[in-house]
Amino acid sequence: MSEHAVHVDGLVKVFDVPEREAGLAAAAKGLVRRKTREVRAVDEISFTVDPGEVVGFLGPNGAGKTTTLKMLSGLLYPSGGVARVLGFEPSKRQRGFLSRITLVMGNRNQLQWDLPALDSYELNRAIYRIPRERFAPTRDELIELLDIGDLVRKPVRQLSLGERMKAEIVGALLHQPQVLFLDEPTIGLDVTMQKRIRTFVADYNERYGATVLLTSHYMADVEALCKRVVVIHHGRILYDGPLAGLADQFAAYKTIGVALENGHTDLSRYGEVIHTDGDWITLRVPKAETSSVTARLLTEEHVLDLNVEDPPIEDVIELVFAQERPE
Amino acid sequence: MRAMLGTMRAELVGAGGVVERNAYLTKRYIWWDLAWFVWTVANTLTIVFIAKGIEAEGGTLDVEETMTTLLIGAVVWAYLGILFEFLMETVAWERWEGTIEYTFMAPLSRAMHLAGQGVFAVLYGMLRATFLFVICGFVFFDLSMPDAQFFAAFVVLLVASVSFIGIGMMMSVLPLISPEKGTQLGFVAQGTLLVVSGVYYPVDVLPQWMQWIATISPATYALDGARSAILEGEPLTALWGDIWPLLVIGAVSVPLGLWVFSRGETYAKRHGKLKRSG
Repeated sequence: MSEHAVHVDGLVKVFDVPEREAGLAAAAKGLVRRKTREVRAVDEISFTVDPGEVVGFLGPNGAGKTTTLKMLSGLLYPSGGVARVLGFEPSKRQRGFLSRITLVMGNRNQLQWDLPALDSYELNRAIYRIPRERFAPTRDELIELLDIGDLVRKPVRQLSLGERMKAEIVGALLHQPQVLFLDEPTIGLDVTMQKRIRTFVADYNERYGATVLLTSHYMADVEALCKRVVVIHHGRILYDGPLAGLADQFAAYKTIGVALENGHTDLSRYGEVIHTDGDWITLRVPKAETSSVTARLLTEEHVLDLNVEDPPIEDVIELVFAQERPE
Repeated sequence: MRAMLGTMRAELVGAGGVVERNAYLTKRYIWWDLAWFVWTVANTLTIVFIAKGIEAEGGTLDVEETMTTLLIGAVVWAYLGILFEFLMETVAWERWEGTIEYTFMAPLSRAMHLAGQGVFAVLYGMLRATFLFVICGFVFFDLSMPDAQFFAAFVVLLVASVSFIGIGMMMSVLPLISPEKGTQLGFVAQGTLLVVSGVYYPVDVLPQWMQWIATISPATYALDGARSAILEGEPLTALWGDIWPLLVIGAVSVPLGLWVFSRGETYAKRHGKLKRSG
């Protein structure tokens, strides 16, 4: 069990959510008898993550991703099942566990709003017991890598979202954690900033052999960082495997891009024309027919260029959520 | 043994970090705090003026002594308020700032986390109480306290602070249970101490059942000890009758406070109450 960095087996989290109808009468009734509904935010999920692995944890809003990450960080107690990180049970708050993990949440902050980030880094140094001789070089290196040297002396409240996120990441990594739980670390950032953070995470993973469990709605993050993805929906795992295999398993079609010598031609007899860009035509064809359609195109048309691709990962993910693969 | 000492040292360093952070935050809001201090001064003066008012209405009393009695009550009460405020903010402020989940994820024992909050509150509260006492007692009213044993009063207040921190820990859990209304509920405990502890009147005037509660309130002994030291010039050695109950209450309230807080933390983590929203 302990050879996995993250081990999750039959993990369950159930919340009692209060609910009532609109209106004064319902509000008054709620004073006497409060109605609650049981919500299974995480429903018996199981997966493992090996040391040094970067895994994408995907799902739509409310799928149970953040709840799972919080259970793995010890911020939420599971209602059932087993969660172990680096051999520790997160809910026990053991120092050996807490000092070797980090959780970065794109919509939360650990840096004090009113203080310069440098002051919050000092607090982390004290709490995480980072020796001074290691703290200063690590801090300075992270600051340099993320290029925020001018920003860490300003109160955090004066930073832009992207700047704040970079400052947050520095704070989260000062103690050089072995396991990173990254919950939407690039949310709301512009593409340049997203790319910078992606590159940084990849570099950190390579340099320290850190294990990363990443949630993101930006497929570019996932494609750049994760060879493997776990897809969760309504608290249940729909897919756990290579990113490349997701399309094989869920997409019933492929796309064929083709450029013809004679320019625009009606290709609808080969498949559904989904896009035309100049001379480049994109067709959607059933997966099973890809080879035969390609062969027909090559023999029947004057093809200048042709490629066969899986559909974009965003489309595949959408399909996964739509299909909810039967057991 | 060495490992234990190392752990203890590291925990103290962590608690020191919490003290340092609170110092930075206080410095950040120092002008607002000064403005708030003006309110505290005004409030204290209002209370001390009651003695003058009674005299003006023809009441017979030793005005100087009554004013000093009321002043001590108001200063101790203001000190208690600061202490509770800081401890209540352990949760409430951090939830507002959105940092609470990270604080609860940090590798620092809850005891040291809360101790860090408490130590800063005591340091800051003592400083504030001293200024309040000097400004109201000497600058504004020019009260005479020729026999006052200020050091003894200071020690009594310091010993009482341990119990106050224990009670503050219990109250600080309320915003964990109810993010919306928990902080306000903390004033219930504070208000109860105000009524029963003889802040502005002797405990003897209370109904018997309230006097029973007064015997387990650390504020009762803190006020009694501070008044004995300042008004009657009692040295520290003569204040043992107030100090030992404070030590006993402190020995009970701190572990109890930690236990209550840990129960609250467990509840919050079971029900997802740490987050502000979402």
